[in-house]
Amino acid sequence: MRRRDFLKGVVKAVLVSMACISSSVAALFIYPASVKQREITMYECLSEEELPRRGVRRLDIEIDNKGRRAAVFIVAHEDKCFALSPVCTHLGCLVSFSRHGNAFICPCHGGKYDVEGNVIGGPPPRALTRLPMRVDKGKVYIGLKV
Amino acid sequence: MGRVFDWIDGKFHVKAPHKRFLQRRIPPGLSYMYCLGGASLFFYLVLFATGLLLSMYYIPSETEAYDSILRLQREVNLGWFIRAIHKWSATFLILFILAHTLRVFYSKAYRSPKELNWVVGCLTLVLSFASGFTGYLLPWDQKAYWATEVGTSMAGTVPGVGQFLINFVRGGFDVSQATLIRFYSIHVLWLPAGMSILLWSHFHMVKRQGIKKPL
Repeated sequence: MRRRDFLKGVVKAVLVSMACISSSVAALFIYPASVKQREITMYECLSEEELPRRGVRRLDIEIDNKGRRAAVFIVAHEDKCFALSPVCTHLGCLVSFSRHGNAFICPCHGGKYDVEGNVIGGPPPRALTRLPMRVDKGKVYIGLKV
Repeated sequence: MGRVFDWIDGKFHVKAPHKRFLQRRIPPGLSYMYCLGGASLFFYLVLFATGLLLSMYYIPSETEAYDSILRLQREVNLGWFIRAIHKWSATFLILFILAHTLRVFYSKAYRSPKELNWVVGCLTLVLSFASGFTGYLLPWDQKAYWATEVGTSMAGTVPGVGQFLINFVRGGFDVSQATLIRFYSIHVLWLPAGMSILLWSHFHMVKRQGIKKPL
């Protein structure tokens, strides 16, 4: 190998590695430094007597004093009572409950879930997420990741 | 050309070397279908100019963005007008680029030696879609928020790296302030810079390779 070719190769290698290093640095810079791992926090939302006996009730839980709210559905169905997240498992829109159709319907792409949250139509890949719910001394707590 | 231009050209010397591009022969039989690319450029320039104006009033912040849009619409002199032009030009830019792409495809103008120009043109189309997507979030209203929620969730469906991609695009776990400022930066700096480079190379190749004879 001639000296000139060798030096050309060296220069090329230096330039390529500089480009690789600087683009990795840039990508690292752009990636968020801390993606918060959400812990489940239990929020007190209503008293035991207020739990629905039958059917679906939508609840807005105040999650901080800045007025931010999170919606949940409390479902009473066949002797069971549980909390469902309204976040559609397809692409994250909020579903609403249709009393007429007795189903949760997503306005974005027509995902449909039955009262238990199981998919009965449309594109969602999974059932609606069940949120942890606890009754303690007559008060109902629901766990949210916020 | 005018005396002022001649004086400037006396320093720049661009006229003579560009003469053979600016005064080149074009093949016979060209129709208005060959103006679609130029029309796209026109809308790109309009978007660039109105975007420069809008950026003086828009505030990319979670608490201020929506209010700044309302102010722009109601209080700023001709704010509604400039914003409407920006919005409609964006729609027409996409339409005209698509029509231009169809024309090039139909007249087989993507064939060698113009294959690279076809690729550059397609990249420009992708970047203009990206501009539309990032610009859609900026009003920070319900429609903007949920469209971005849905659009960025799509990245999450990629097997394996889905969540990583979502974090990368949103700048965090969900659509928030980090997403807004990120989209703003991409919309007003990265994409216009990228598109300007692509368009320059597009026109450079058009000048070098000429216009393909109609079928």
